[in-house]
Amino acid sequence: MEYAVKNRALWTVVLAAGLTVAGCGSAAGPAPSSGGDGNTLVVWDWKSGDDDAAAYIEAAKADFADKHPEVEVEFVAQPFDQYYTLLGAAIQSGKGPDVMLFNGGGQLRDRVDSLVPLDSYVAEDRERLVGWNAFTEGGRTYAAPVTLQGHPIYYNRNLYEQAGLDPDSPPTTWTEFVDGCATIMDRTDATCIALGNKEGIGIEFFLSGLGSGVLTDQEYDDWIVGKRNWTSPNVKRIFEMWTETERAGLNNEGANSTAMFNDAFAIFSSGEAAHVIGLMSDVGHWQDFGEFLAPADIGVMRAPVSTTGATPSLPYDGGIGYAVARWTADPEVAADLVRSLTSKDALEAFYADAGAIAADTAIDVSDAGPAVADIVSGLETGEPALHVALSVETLDLMRRLSQQLLSGSVTVDDALSQLATADQGS
Amino acid sequence: MPTGSTPAIDPVPRRATRRRNAERLAPYVLVAPAVLVVVVLRLYPLVLGVNFSFTGDGDSDGTAVGLDNYVTLMGDPLFVGALRNVGLLVALLPVAVAIPGLLATFIYLRVPGHRIFRSVYFFPAVLSPVIVGAIFTLLLAFDGPLNALLGSVGLGPVDWLGDPDVAIFMVVGVHVWATFGMALVVFLAGFATLDTSLLDAARIDGAALPRIIWHVIVPGLSRTIQFVFVTTMIGMLTSMFGLLYVMTSGGPGGATYLPEYYIWIQQGQLNRPALASAAATVLFLVMVVVGLLQVSVLRRSGRED
Repeated sequence: MEYAVKNRALWTVVLAAGLTVAGCGSAAGPAPSSGGDGNTLVVWDWKSGDDDAAAYIEAAKADFADKHPEVEVEFVAQPFDQYYTLLGAAIQSGKGPDVMLFNGGGQLRDRVDSLVPLDSYVAEDRERLVGWNAFTEGGRTYAAPVTLQGHPIYYNRNLYEQAGLDPDSPPTTWTEFVDGCATIMDRTDATCIALGNKEGIGIEFFLSGLGSGVLTDQEYDDWIVGKRNWTSPNVKRIFEMWTETERAGLNNEGANSTAMFNDAFAIFSSGEAAHVIGLMSDVGHWQDFGEFLAPADIGVMRAPVSTTGATPSLPYDGGIGYAVARWTADPEVAADLVRSLTSKDALEAFYADAGAIAADTAIDVSDAGPAVADIVSGLETGEPALHVALSVETLDLMRRLSQQLLSGSVTVDDALSQLATADQGS
Repeated sequence: MPTGSTPAIDPVPRRATRRRNAERLAPYVLVAPAVLVVVVLRLYPLVLGVNFSFTGDGDSDGTAVGLDNYVTLMGDPLFVGALRNVGLLVALLPVAVAIPGLLATFIYLRVPGHRIFRSVYFFPAVLSPVIVGAIFTLLLAFDGPLNALLGSVGLGPVDWLGDPDVAIFMVVGVHVWATFGMALVVFLAGFATLDTSLLDAARIDGAALPRIIWHVIVPGLSRTIQFVFVTTMIGMLTSMFGLLYVMTSGGPGGATYLPEYYIWIQQGQLNRPALASAAATVLFLVMVVVGLLQVSVLRRSGRED
C-alpha cells in the first residue's frame, strides 16, 4: 500500500515535470551539422543504387574528380518510399547529407530552410538546362535539374486504328475526345482511360495533363505564380471533367483501388485502355510502355481543348534535381558536385540507360521512337505542370478529395471550397 | 531487515559501515539498469513527445503554442475520422474475439481433422502484415479472383478496397484473419483448464451444442475471454499500420485512416512533427484508457477466484 502511494507520488512528479517543460524546444530538432567531413561529401538519393543509373553516377564522379581530386564522394541510396521520411529524420537528428536528391515541387519547397541557394554557382548552366522552375522558391534556385518530369497524354495508335479513328490526328477538342472514347469502347474491348487513383495520384496527372486545354493562358500563368482562383468556372470545369469521365464509364473500373504505379500503366500497356496520362521519365513512360507495345504504336497528344482561349501545351518541370545542404563544410565544392551530376556526359548516360528525358535538351533522342520525338518537340513551348505548384498539404487534401469525388461522397463545389481554404492556408 | 538501525557496538565499525552501505546500495545498483532503460528509453521520450506537442511547426518551430495543435487535430476531419474508425474497431471487437473462440471450441470438441486445423489456423500469425496485405490486395482487386468468383455466380463486382463504406471492414477482416491464430492458441490453453466432468454431465443431460457453449464453455473460460478481448484490442489499435499502408494507403478519401497512419503522414510526408506529437499523445491517452481497463478487468477476474 505504501508502495502504491509512493508510486503515485512518483507519477505526479513525472507528470508535473512534463507539464513544466511543456512547449519548449523544437519538434523539428536541432540544426544539423555537416554530413561528411571536409574531404568527404555525402550524397543521398534513391537512384545511385539502380543498375541503369550506374553509368550516370560513374560519369558524374569522373567529372567531379577532375575538378576536386582531393574530395571523396559517398553515395547513399535510400528506398524511395521512405526517402523523405528518412531525410526528414536525418535532418532532425543532425545527420543530414551534404548533397541530396529532390523531386521538383512541394517536397523541395518545404525544405528550402535547409538548403543553399545555388544561383551564383550554376549561372553557366542556366541556358543549357531546362526545368529550373520546379526547384525555385521565392526567386532563388535550390537544386539543379537532372531529368524532366511531365505528363504527356499517351494513346494507343493500334486501338485507334481498330476503332476506325485516324491515329495521326488525335482529338484536339474535349468533345472530339469524348466522342472518340465512345467509338473506341464501342468497337474494341478496351476502355478509354487507364486511371489509378488508389494513392490519389490520378488527380494530379489529370489536372496537369488536361489543365492546359481548360484554363486560359492568363489563368494558367496566374495559377503557377500562386494566384489561384479555385472557384473560377474553368478550374471547376477540370474537376467536373474528373467526375464526368468516371460517371460516363470512360475510366477502367475500380479506379480508387487501382494503383497508378504500376497497375494503371499495366492496363494501358496491355492494350486494355486507349489513353493514359503518364510520365516522361523513370517509370510509367514511353520506355516502360515500349516493353509490351511496339514503340511505333505509342502516340502522344496535346491536351484536348474545352475552353476558347486555352493553348494546350506539354506540362513538365524539373523532375529530380540535386540540392546542397546549408550545413555542408564548403558549399562551393558541393555545388561543383551538383554541376558534375548535371554535366552533359552524365545526363547523356542517364537518358540512354534509364530512359529519362534529361534536363539537357541538346541530347540526341532521334532513335527512340515517335513518342519521345513528340515529347522533346513540346519542351520548347511547354509550361510548368499545374499540380507541382501546389503545396504538399494541398496535394494531400486533393488526393483524398479526388477519391471522394470518384465515389460520390463529396460534390465538386464542396471539394473546391476545401481546396481553396487549404491552398490559402499553406 | 538487515540494514536496520543497529547500535554502534561493532568491533570493527568502519568495515561494517562499508558493508552495511554496500548492502544498502546493492538493490539500487541491481535495479539501475532496468530503471535506466525504462527512464531513458521510455519515460524521457514520452515526456519529450508530450512536450513537443505544445510547440509549433514550420515558422513557429520551437515556440510554445499552447493547445493549438490539439485544436487543429479536433478541427481536422481526417483525424476525427481516424478516431471514429477507432470506435468502429472497438465495436467490431466482439466479432474478432468470437471467431477464434468458436474455432477453438470446435478444435477442443475434436471435430474431424482438428489436428490439421490447429496448425493451419496458426499459420497466418507468422506472416508479416506487409505480405498479408499484398496477398489480399491481389485477391480483393477489382479485377481480382474474388470478384471473378462473384461474377461466375452472377453477382456484381464490388470494389472491395475502393469503396469508402466497404474498405475499412475489409482491412479489419484481413487483420482478424492474420492475427486470430494467436488468440486461438490462448483459447486452447484456456480449454486445458476447463473441467471436463461438467461437459460430460451436460452431454448426458442431452444439452445441444449451442447450449453447451453458452452455459458451460463460456462461463468456464471467462478469464481467457477477458484476456483475449484486451490483447486483441491493443493489437487492433497499434499494429494495423502495415496493412493500411499496403492495402489502402488510408484511402479512399481517408476512409481507412487510423491515428497511427495519421501520425506517420503528418511527420513523414507533411513535415509537421509537432502536430504528429500531439496526435501521438492523443493515441497514447486512448491506450492508457485501454490499459487501465485491462488492469481493472484482470484484477476483478482475479478476485472472482
